[in-house]
This record gives sequence, structure tokens and C-alpha cells, in this order.
Amino acid sequence: MTQPVIGFAGLTHLGLVSAIGTASKGFAVIGYDAEAARVAAIAAGRLPVVEPDLDDMARTFARNLTYSDRLGDLARCDIVYISTDVPTDDRGESDLSAIRTLVADVIRALAPHALLVVLCQVPPGFTRRLPLAPERLYYQVETLVFGRAVERATKPERFIVGCADPARPLPAPYAALLGAFGCPLLPMRYESAELAKIAINCCLVASVSVANTLAELSERIGADWGEIAPALRLDRRIGAYSYLAPGLGLAGGNLERDLATVLRLSEACGSEASVVAAFVRNSRHRRDWALRIAHREVLARKADATFGVLGLAYKENTHSTKNSPSLGLIEHLKPWPIRVYDPVVPASAAPHPAVTAATSALEAARGADALLIMTPWPEFRALDPQKLAAAMAGRVVVDPYRVLDPAAVRAAGLSHFVLGASAAAN
Amino acid sequence: MLEHSHQTPKAPSRVVVVGAGGFVGGAIAQELAHGGVPVLGLTRKEADLLADGAAADLAARLQVDDSVVLVSALAPARTPAMLVQNLRMAEAVGQALAARPVAHLVYISSDAVYADDANPVTERSACQPSSLHGMMHAARELMLRSEIKVPLAILRPSLLYGARDPHNGYGPNRFRRLAQKGEPITLFGEGEEQRDHILIDDVARLAALVLAHRSRGVLNVATGVSTSFRGVAEKVVAMSGKHSEIRGTPRQNPITHRHFDVADGLKAFPRFRYTPLEAGLATAMQPI
Repeated sequence: MTQPVIGFAGLTHLGLVSAIGTASKGFAVIGYDAEAARVAAIAAGRLPVVEPDLDDMARTFARNLTYSDRLGDLARCDIVYISTDVPTDDRGESDLSAIRTLVADVIRALAPHALLVVLCQVPPGFTRRLPLAPERLYYQVETLVFGRAVERATKPERFIVGCADPARPLPAPYAALLGAFGCPLLPMRYESAELAKIAINCCLVASVSVANTLAELSERIGADWGEIAPALRLDRRIGAYSYLAPGLGLAGGNLERDLATVLRLSEACGSEASVVAAFVRNSRHRRDWALRIAHREVLARKADATFGVLGLAYKENTHSTKNSPSLGLIEHLKPWPIRVYDPVVPASAAPHPAVTAATSALEAARGADALLIMTPWPEFRALDPQKLAAAMAGRVVVDPYRVLDPAAVRAAGLSHFVLGASAAAN
Repeated sequence: MLEHSHQTPKAPSRVVVVGAGGFVGGAIAQELAHGGVPVLGLTRKEADLLADGAAADLAARLQVDDSVVLVSALAPARTPAMLVQNLRMAEAVGQALAARPVAHLVYISSDAVYADDANPVTERSACQPSSLHGMMHAARELMLRSEIKVPLAILRPSLLYGARDPHNGYGPNRFRRLAQKGEPITLFGEGEEQRDHILIDDVARLAALVLAHRSRGVLNVATGVSTSFRGVAEKVVAMSGKHSEIRGTPRQNPITHRHFDVADGLKAFPRFRYTPLEAGLATAMQPI
């Protein structure tokens, strides 16, 4: 059998990373996007997303990759993935209109034998209702992690595939494609696969919510969550890779979307989901952690303070600012001047009337009464607390993710505020 | 969460304080007057909300560009009869505002609308009152929300203290008076319960801000710092210069605490600062 040709409709973060990952396994890949300028930029090697190793991989496997803004080019594919973005509103609810339009367009362009695989996040029940013969229609769970997308796309832990009839073997081209990744394959009915994606995220949120809840308690009773989490990871029932690092609420959009979907479905069918509502409440509460500290430790003592903010992206190694805690903080510091620095996101993304773009992390700290390290970019770890102390006007360093070494910060005469431990205990 | 109709504060053309004869209403009227805002203070004498024709009388006093602060209540509402009277008062105000819509309505409610165990309380905590007083405020809020087309701000203060407090309830108000007389302060249990105590001046300053921004929505009035009753007693005794004994008693009821997450307040009024408890107690202990 000749290798199947694989298409990706929608050169989004998910689509682009998946396309390049599939090309790296030796398949011919056609990446389609309706936006001609985006396609031209990608074809010229200017990728619109930031991911470690992605640019190198796109160059290395360029011979397997074709990019096009012509829908008709997808007719050459044996399998076409739907990999568009599904936007969410402020409540985390999906707008499915764009994906429905794209699916209808792609179905018209498909070769008669070709398969369609929905790869983007859709609510349970979506795939089964699409207008294509069930034996040609699949849903596949994506587990993209911003900042680790290449690793996830090339070395998946397993494939979860939603089918009309999980008892029937997958079509040969699809089995060949997935087999190339050498990982377990779990076929199941469409609704199970769609809910499996949500279930994964709910489990992650549950872990993070436990970490956030007990980290806050640690801050108040003199414990240090940083000491507790490693002990939990050695418990096999919890696991070495469990999400136990406390954070500033959920961000990025996808987890929030899945919680909103569970709440909506549970409300509609009458199942009990109050724990999920509690996850949402806890996330919202922890999101304002830095704002509360800024007021308590800085503004309560100095009404006209200046802040330095490091990081605008919602997490390290990404350009995305969706629900970014940093932007959420900055929005509420409007009365005070801020200096910001992010290695990727421009300062203009900050929702603030008096923002100064600093050229480096140290420059952002210069003259600041407090420095807030809102995204744990690796380069911030290299900051020298002694130099920070010399550059800053004040002594407060708000470092939720413990980017800096607490002992070194303390030795520099700075007050270090981290998630999971009180400043006194830290 | 509050939304401001005026991002830049703008003095209201006139504020009608319904319930200006009381502890809270008086403080708000005074704060506004100090700020140069024209105030029409209505006490029970000028506007008895339980009298026949109360709605029409109130409506006749209102102008279209007025802001109204409704603080009048028979408080605390301890009996079903008081609950019903309070609702009738709100009904009269509702009818007056339906007949004569104004520019803005600020309702002074209470944190008693929340469940006792809602910690940390936010503006999104469910209204689940455990007292008639809390139910009274929750019902009044709903009456105003559903019946009146005027932009509405609801302020839900925590426990209030101040020099002019008339209730002398358990807490800073009673404790400081006892301490100033050198008399013993008796605690429930060991006074372990933590509460967020608010200086009355802060409620008045915040109400003035809400009026100037013509804000809509709900805001808790709380400092974000809770202190035990014993802690309050110890502070006022230390400040009094006398030597009141602080007495514990066998505990009759389980310990409950109240804490607030005040992030919404920090967002609504970033520059507003509450008076810290010690400074507030010092103010309250000054001779009037």
C-alpha cells in the first residue's frame, strides 16, 4: 500500500503542529488554510506560533509538507483532519459556527474514498451529527500542550479515536497513519472519545485545584506546598507527572471550555456537577492572587507605586495570552505606571494606558517598587537577585512560580512572595 | 462586580438619602455634604415609608436627575413583623421610583444575605441568609432589582462600627464603650470568631464613590482582613488606657468565622483604601 496523503484543514496552532508532526513520520502532508497571507507566511518559513523545535522540524521535513489556500488541493488527500480553532466566549462556551462551515466546505472537496477526522475540541454529540457517511467519519482526541506541542504531536501517549462502530477495524490508511506513531490505539464510540478529551482535562483541573486550594492554605498556616508536592508525586496513586504545581487559575481557554461544557451538559441532563463549579470558583479566586499581594504589600503602603511585570503570555514558551493571569493583573493596575517585558509577546498586548516596554527583564525591574514575575519563562531564571535589588526602588518580588531561588532573593534583601508558602516561611 | 457608568467620577447633581437619620444614612449624607454634593436627607420625620401615601409623598420629592441612596430600614429585623414592615418600606420606595424614575439608586444592604459558611465571601457567593435580617435585605434587593428600571448599585457591608453607632451590639461598638468606662468585656466563648469590621466612614466614602461613578452591580463593603472578637477587645482595652477585664464564658454556639475575598473591590476602586482596624477604632473612640 502506498503511504496515505494526509490533509489538515486549518493551520492553527493545533493544525500546524500536527501537520509538521505527521510529516516528520514520513507522510506527505497538505496543510490548508483559507487565509492566503497565513499560508504564504508559513510556506516562507515564518511560523505564526512559538513552540520549541517547531521551526527546525518544519525545515527538516519541508519536502513532505505542502501548504495551500485552495480547498481543492485537499482532494488529493486520503485523510483530512479538521484542525481549525473553535473560539470560546468569556464563559468558556464554544462558537461552533466556523467549524461547521469548514467541515461543510471540506466534505465538498473530499475525494470519494477519503476519510474525515475531527481533531479540534468539540462538545459530545457533535461528530455524530456531521453530514458524512459514518464509515468515513472519525473524531480523534488531540492533546496539544502549548509550549510542549511538538513533543506531544510526535510522541503521543495514545490515540483515542471516536468511531461510529468501534468493533470494526479502522480503515487501512488511517491505521497505517496512527500505527506510525507506535503508541496504543483506543477506538471507542464518538461520544466516548469526545467526552474522553474533556475527562482528561477535568482530571488535570482537579489536580491543579487541589494544589491551588492547599497551596493557599499553606501560605496561611506556615506550610510550604513546594515541600509537599514532591512527596505526593512519589505516591503511585497520584503519580510523578500529576499536575500539582499551583497556578494563578486556569488559563489558555481549553480547560475553561471543557468545564463549561460539563456544566452545560450536566445542567441539561440533570447530573450532579457542583465539584466542577467549584473548580471554576477556585480558579477565579486564585487568578487575583498577585493583585491582592500588590495591594496588601505595596499599594497599602505607597499610594503612587511603580510596577515591573515580567511575562505577558499565559504560560512560558507560547505567544498565547488567552486568559493570561498577567494581562488580568495589569488590567487592574491602570492607575499606576508599569514597565513590562516578555520574550515573545509585545508590550502593546498589555491592557494598560501607561505601559513602558522594557528591553530586558532587568530593565523592567528598574525603579519598580515591586516586580511581578507573571509568566515563568526560562530566561527569567537567570536573573541575579542582587542586580534586581540594585535596580529596584522597592523590595517586593512577587514570584508565583518560584522562578527565582528563594534563598538568593532573601539574601539580596528582597521580600519574596510565592504560591504555596508565606513570605515569612519562604 | 460593579460597572461604572462614569469612568471618570462626576459629582451627582443631588443625592436623596432615604434614611438620613440613621447611623449609616447620616454618615453618607455627611460625607456627601463635605464633598460639596447637594444632599436632601430624608429621615422618618420627612418620609415615613410605612405611612399611607408614602410612595406618592416620596415621588413628589424626587427629581429626574437625582441619585437616591436607600438605607432606611428597621434594623436589625429580628421578628417576622419587622421583616414585613421592612418589605413594605421597600415596596413604597419601589413604587415611588416607578412613578418618578431617577438617575441612580444605591441600596445599602448587608453581608447577612450570604450563608454563614460562605467563606471566603465574594460578590458571587450565593445569597442564602440564615436570619430574618439577611432575608429582609435579600428580598429587598430582589424587589428593587426586578421592579425598578433605574441603574442600581447594591452595597453589602460587613459589621459596622463608629462613634455614633446606636445599637451597641456585640463587637467593637460595645467593647470600646465598656473599655472607656473601665468595665469588663464579656466574650461569647473566648471570642474566637473572626469578623471583618468596617468603620462607618469607609461605607460613606465608598457610597460617595459609587455615586460619583454611577456604578451598577453588587459590591461587598469589607476590608479583607478579619479579626477575632477577642482581638478587638484587646485592642480597645489597650487603647483605652484603662484596665478592663476581658472575660470568656462557656461557649453556647459553634464557632463561625467570616472572611472576604475583596478582589472585586480592588478592581472597582483601585485607589480606595479602607481604614485599618486600629486606626478606625482610634477614630471611633474619639469624643463625638
